[in-house]
Amino acid sequence: MIRECTAQELRHIVGERSYLDSREDLIGYSYDSSVDEAMPEAVILPTNTAQVSEIMKIAYREEIPVTPRGAGTNLSGGTIPVAGGIVLVLTRMDRLIVLNKEDRYAVVQAGCVNLNLQEAAKKVGLFYPPDPASWSVSTLGGNVGENAGGPRGVKYGVTRDWILGLKVVLADGRIITAGGITAKNVTGIDLISLFTGSEGCLGIVTEVTVKLLPLPPFRQSLQAFYPLLDGASRTVARIIGSGIVPVALELMDKVVVNLIEDSAHIGLPRDVEGTLLIMVDGDEGACRNQAERIASICREEGASDVLVARSDEEEEKLWLGRRSAFGVMSRKRPTCVLEDCTVPVSNLLEMIRGIVAIGEKYNLTIGVMAHAGDGNTHPMILTDKRDKDEWARVEKAVAEIFQLAVDLDGTLSGEHGIGISKKPFLPLIMDDDARKLMTEIKSVLDSKGILNPGKFIEQR
Amino acid sequence: MEYRDKKELFLTMEHTTQLLSDTTIEHIYHCAKCGLCLEVCPVYREMLVESHSPRGKVQLARHIIEGDLAITDRMNDILFSSCLLCGSCVAACPSGVRQDVLFSGLRWRAAQRHGLGFTKKLFFHVLARGWLMSQSAWFGRWTREILRITGIEEKIQAGNLPVEGVPPMNAKPFNNAYRGVIPARGMTNARVLYFHGCATNYVFGDIGSAVVSVLRRMGVQVEIPRNQPCCGLPIFLSGDRKTSLACIHDVVEKFDRDDVDAVIVDCATCGSALKNEYPHILKELRDLGENVDDDLVEAAERLAAATMDISEFIDIHREWMPKFSPTNGEKMKVTYHDPCHLLRGQGVGVEPRRLLTMLPNVDFLEMNEADRCCGGGGEYQIEYGDTSALITNRKIANICRSGAEIVATGCPGCNITIGAHLKKINDIRILHPVQLIHMALEGDNWKT
Repeated sequence: MIRECTAQELRHIVGERSYLDSREDLIGYSYDSSVDEAMPEAVILPTNTAQVSEIMKIAYREEIPVTPRGAGTNLSGGTIPVAGGIVLVLTRMDRLIVLNKEDRYAVVQAGCVNLNLQEAAKKVGLFYPPDPASWSVSTLGGNVGENAGGPRGVKYGVTRDWILGLKVVLADGRIITAGGITAKNVTGIDLISLFTGSEGCLGIVTEVTVKLLPLPPFRQSLQAFYPLLDGASRTVARIIGSGIVPVALELMDKVVVNLIEDSAHIGLPRDVEGTLLIMVDGDEGACRNQAERIASICREEGASDVLVARSDEEEEKLWLGRRSAFGVMSRKRPTCVLEDCTVPVSNLLEMIRGIVAIGEKYNLTIGVMAHAGDGNTHPMILTDKRDKDEWARVEKAVAEIFQLAVDLDGTLSGEHGIGISKKPFLPLIMDDDARKLMTEIKSVLDSKGILNPGKFIEQR
Repeated sequence: MEYRDKKELFLTMEHTTQLLSDTTIEHIYHCAKCGLCLEVCPVYREMLVESHSPRGKVQLARHIIEGDLAITDRMNDILFSSCLLCGSCVAACPSGVRQDVLFSGLRWRAAQRHGLGFTKKLFFHVLARGWLMSQSAWFGRWTREILRITGIEEKIQAGNLPVEGVPPMNAKPFNNAYRGVIPARGMTNARVLYFHGCATNYVFGDIGSAVVSVLRRMGVQVEIPRNQPCCGLPIFLSGDRKTSLACIHDVVEKFDRDDVDAVIVDCATCGSALKNEYPHILKELRDLGENVDDDLVEAAERLAAATMDISEFIDIHREWMPKFSPTNGEKMKVTYHDPCHLLRGQGVGVEPRRLLTMLPNVDFLEMNEADRCCGGGGEYQIEYGDTSALITNRKIANICRSGAEIVATGCPGCNITIGAHLKKINDIRILHPVQLIHMALEGDNWKT
């Protein structure tokens, strides 16, 4: 319970209009893009690190749970305030503080939207690689919290790989800085890695320093359609084996292709078992050369059709369908359960076949997408949470999918994080001592257990 | 045509017990909460608060439907203050959720519970009754004159709308000067009905005469029915369905005709009403058990199929366009603003740009974020001036940065909002695309 005098103190820090506690406003922060929900008691929208620090001092003193939140687009329930308390929304901390062309880095407030950073960097010929599908709304702070990835992960990795420094407000309100602005930095324990992907359970990230790359002068996308999924899978293996490092190598099965076509009408063929969407970037000559090699591999492995984007517009069109895929799933059925278990690339086909079999076993529609180049699958179970019988089958299917990923030497999450939705499955992949170590780390940083409680780290 | 005799029957409304139709409710459950609507929502972009976002309001609607949230004062405020009904979320939603239908439905229920407020009630009453509208136009003209002479006008700011920059009323209603059948010049290629809407009738008479002149030059016979009612959409969207239905009924009755090739509209809002909204509105009410005649729905569907925005019509029939007047080589720098009700309401965006690019006296420049809402939203800018100002300022900055001398836009609402704000700071003019086409045909220069 937040006492009225405490609420007054908090209002004093951020101003009346940035402290919300009407039921209508609270409902807005009871969900994210995952399935679960829980109501907070108050929502606070600070505009700078000092305010966050002041808020945390009070929350620490009063032992009020605090769940930090950006745009609320994560898919694992990471921002759902399961213990009530405060949702600390950083969307109004959206400034780009520094954009340094010479040393190729940027400093942003945690609420800065990924795409805004992308666009600002592009203007000076630079490039920020991580591109979660939610990039037009999701914030850098949120990306750090979930260690988000995206299609470009094959070549460029996940958020952690691009963080040079962080400003973090600790549970008791102290402000620390981790890392710096230099390209190389091996000073001390790698605190950046500690906080990145910790889902706000260890501290509240308020500023992020990211490494930028020179904007690749050219990029080229292709899409290949396969009557048989095996051909697509062999293509992935051959591309990776050939030494080409594509920016993205996306696979979508027939369920997904048909649903995208239902909503976007972009002319995708409906009678395929799967399609690959591939992008290469770099020097123009090299790109064209690689695209040609990839196109011939696709044809050799049985692609019935290979499209090569000839313009930026065609390029955009190829990718638009992929980016809206999650939302599109909800056209067919109201609820879409989206997972992101990841396996070694060589086990990808087996994983996909296994997912399809699980779907058949439980009589569920499951669409499969995958960032095939890094073995990151996205099974999407189409369902209706209101249907109790079906929902019970969904829960069983999800459990089997996780077990399958682990059996195939994979892991629970490639880029979405664990949050609450994957929490019960953590023992499948992390042994007791490893999980206990996480608990011990948390208890050092958050002795009162107020930071995003109830998420994947067990509390003492 | 049975519905014509049953005008009074279907206006009961209050008897309906279900809050929203089953189809609309189902939409709520199809929201994947993916959040892609946040980026395109003009209000969310400025406020950055979830309850003001489309996703937030869809979730609030779910709580209302499930019975654990009432349409409270705060909810009423959210429904009206945080939405311009611009349709950006509808266009961006990968799950196909019709937030516009949902939100306007909730506004209706909210208005039933909380009332509309005196000004809105009076305004809609006037809009919905043609003769009252023409009286108040005279009154408005007279008042403006007095305010101007006394110098009071330049100090008036209605919400975020600088009144001084609002164009004066027509000297007399457009429909008094132009009505009945106006023959084509030369060979007759087509026959159309012209729905001129309230804005052209009372404020933008010049746009109306440009429409008539361009169409005639293209060999189109233009028929302008008398006593044209308000299209009803502004009233409908504000939640006063009862009043708006009288308008809809009247429009369908006058314009559903099988002896014309098209119904031409020059106003984005009226166009989206006739072309898109009427059948939806009527069907939803029928689903809710209101006494909506099937004949009326069918007539509305025929009208929808026949309705075309003026830019779309001219673009389709470009080959009818006579030669443009020779120019002295001087070109006007023109940019284009997409009205919400034209781009998202009717899918018209390419057409006006294609026409503008075609004109010999126009140098077309694309502005940044041309498809973003201008922040006006009719009475929104007056009632919720603070939020509106943030959105409008962004639009004005984008216009100024484009380097254009003229903004073209096919919506009187956007015209008033953008025009009034531009007038405060510089001499960039705002015109309907059809006015620029008219100039190109007549060899007029904007400076004259």
